[in-house]
Amino acid sequence: MSPDPIERAAARVSRPLGACLLALLVVFAFLVIQAPEDRSQGVIQKIFYVHVPTVLGAYLGFFVTALAGALYLWRDEERWDRLAASAAEVGVVFCTLVLLVGPIWAKGTWGRWWTWDLRLTLTLLLWFVYVAYLLLRSFTEGGPRTARFASVYGMAGLVVIPLNYFALELAGGRSMHPENLEGGSFGEGMGLPFAVGMLVALVAFAWLLALRVRIAGLRARVEEGEVLAGETAAPARGGAGS
Amino acid sequence: MSAVLAILWKDLVSEWRSRDRIVAMLLFSLLVVVVFHFALPVRPGGGPPEGLPGLLWVAYVFAAILGLNRAFAVELENEALSGLALVPCDRGFVFLGKATASFLLILLAQLATAVAFALAFDAPLGRVGGPLAGIAALGAAGLASVGTLFAAIAVRTRYREVMLPLLLLPLLVPLLLGAVRATAELLASGRVPSDAIQLLLVTDAVFLIVSFVGFEYVLDE
Repeated sequence: MSPDPIERAAARVSRPLGACLLALLVVFAFLVIQAPEDRSQGVIQKIFYVHVPTVLGAYLGFFVTALAGALYLWRDEERWDRLAASAAEVGVVFCTLVLLVGPIWAKGTWGRWWTWDLRLTLTLLLWFVYVAYLLLRSFTEGGPRTARFASVYGMAGLVVIPLNYFALELAGGRSMHPENLEGGSFGEGMGLPFAVGMLVALVAFAWLLALRVRIAGLRARVEEGEVLAGETAAPARGGAGS
Repeated sequence: MSAVLAILWKDLVSEWRSRDRIVAMLLFSLLVVVVFHFALPVRPGGGPPEGLPGLLWVAYVFAAILGLNRAFAVELENEALSGLALVPCDRGFVFLGKATASFLLILLAQLATAVAFALAFDAPLGRVGGPLAGIAALGAAGLASVGTLFAAIAVRTRYREVMLPLLLLPLLVPLLLGAVRATAELLASGRVPSDAIQLLLVTDAVFLIVSFVGFEYVLDE
C-alpha cells in the first residue's frame, strides 16, 4: 500500500502551509496591535480577531468530517475515513478554543463567563457531539467497523445542527451574542486585521489537517507493517518539522 | 413488512418471557421518583415541585436509555446480532422492528413514571392525561429511533453502557426542548403549543430517516 492521493497531497502542502502560517501570524499580530481600540469595549474587543476566525476552523472541521464520512460510506475507501477522523480532531481543537476564548471576552464585556445564549449553546452542543465522535472511535475495535460507526454518527451530528438551531430559538432565543457581521459594521481599521485573522484560521486549519492526515496515513501503513525504517525517514521530514 | 412484524413479535415475546427490560425500567423510574423526592426542597404550600416537566422528561430519557441498552445486549448471545444482519431484506426494516419494540416498552415506562410522579408529587397529570400521552408518544418515537441506531453502535464498543448516553444525549436536545416545552405549557394552561409539537414532529421525522438509512451501516455480518 503506497500513500494514497490525499496523504501525498497533505505531505506536499504541509511544509509550505506551515511557513505561510508563521509569516501570517507575524503580520496578524502586528495588525491586531495596530488596530484601533473599540470605543465602548476598550482593548478587550481585540479578542474578536481571534474568536471569530477560530469558529471558522471549528465549522470547517465538522463539515469536512461529515462530508468525508459520507464519502467513506459511499466509496468504501479507508482514506476518506482517515480524513474524517483527522478533521474531527482538528475541529474539536478549534471548537475548544472558541469555548475558551469566548468566555474571556464575555466576562470582560457582559460581566459573566457564560450565558445560555442560542449561539453559545449551539457551539457547546457541537463540541459534545464531536467529542462523543472521537470517544466512539477510540472505543470501537476493528478499522472498518470504527469507520462505519463514526461516519454514521458524524453525519447524524451535522443533521441535528439546524434542528438545534430552531429548538433553541423556540426556547427563548434571547440573545446577547452579536449578530452575524454585516457589511459596514466594522469600525475604521478593523476590517483588515479581521480578514487576515480569517486567513490565519484557514491556513492553520489546513496545516493541522494536513499534518494529521499524514500521521493517520503513516499509522495505517505502520499497522499493516509496510513502512520500512528507510521509508519513514524521508517523508517524515516534510511536515513534522515545519 | 413481514420482517418488521417478525422482529417486533420476537422482541415482544422474548421480553414477555424474561420481563427483565421492563422490570428494570419500571424499577428505575420508581427509584428516580424517590431520589427526586429527597433531592428537591419541600415546598411550603405543598403541590408539585417547580420544573416538574423537566424532571419528568429526565426520568423518561434515562429509563429509555436503560431499556435501549438491553435491546441489543440480548442480541449478543449466540451471535443473534449477526443473524439480524443476515435477514434477507433491507436493514431499515430490521431497524423498524427493533425500534417499534423499544417504542412500546418506553411508552409503558412513561406511563408508570407519570403515575408515580402524579402520586408522589401530587401533580395533576391525570387531568391532562390524553394530550400528555400524545406528547410522551412523540418523544418516545424520537427516543426509540435514534436510540435504536446508537444502541446498535454502542453494543459493539467497549464500555457499551457508558457509550450510549454519551452518543445519544447531545443529539436529543431538540427533542427534549420540544417535549419539555409542550408538557410545561400543557400543565400550566391546559393547551398544547403548536410550535413545540411541530418541532417534535420534525425532529421525529429527521431521527426516523437518519436511523432508517444509517442502520444499514451499523450491523456486522
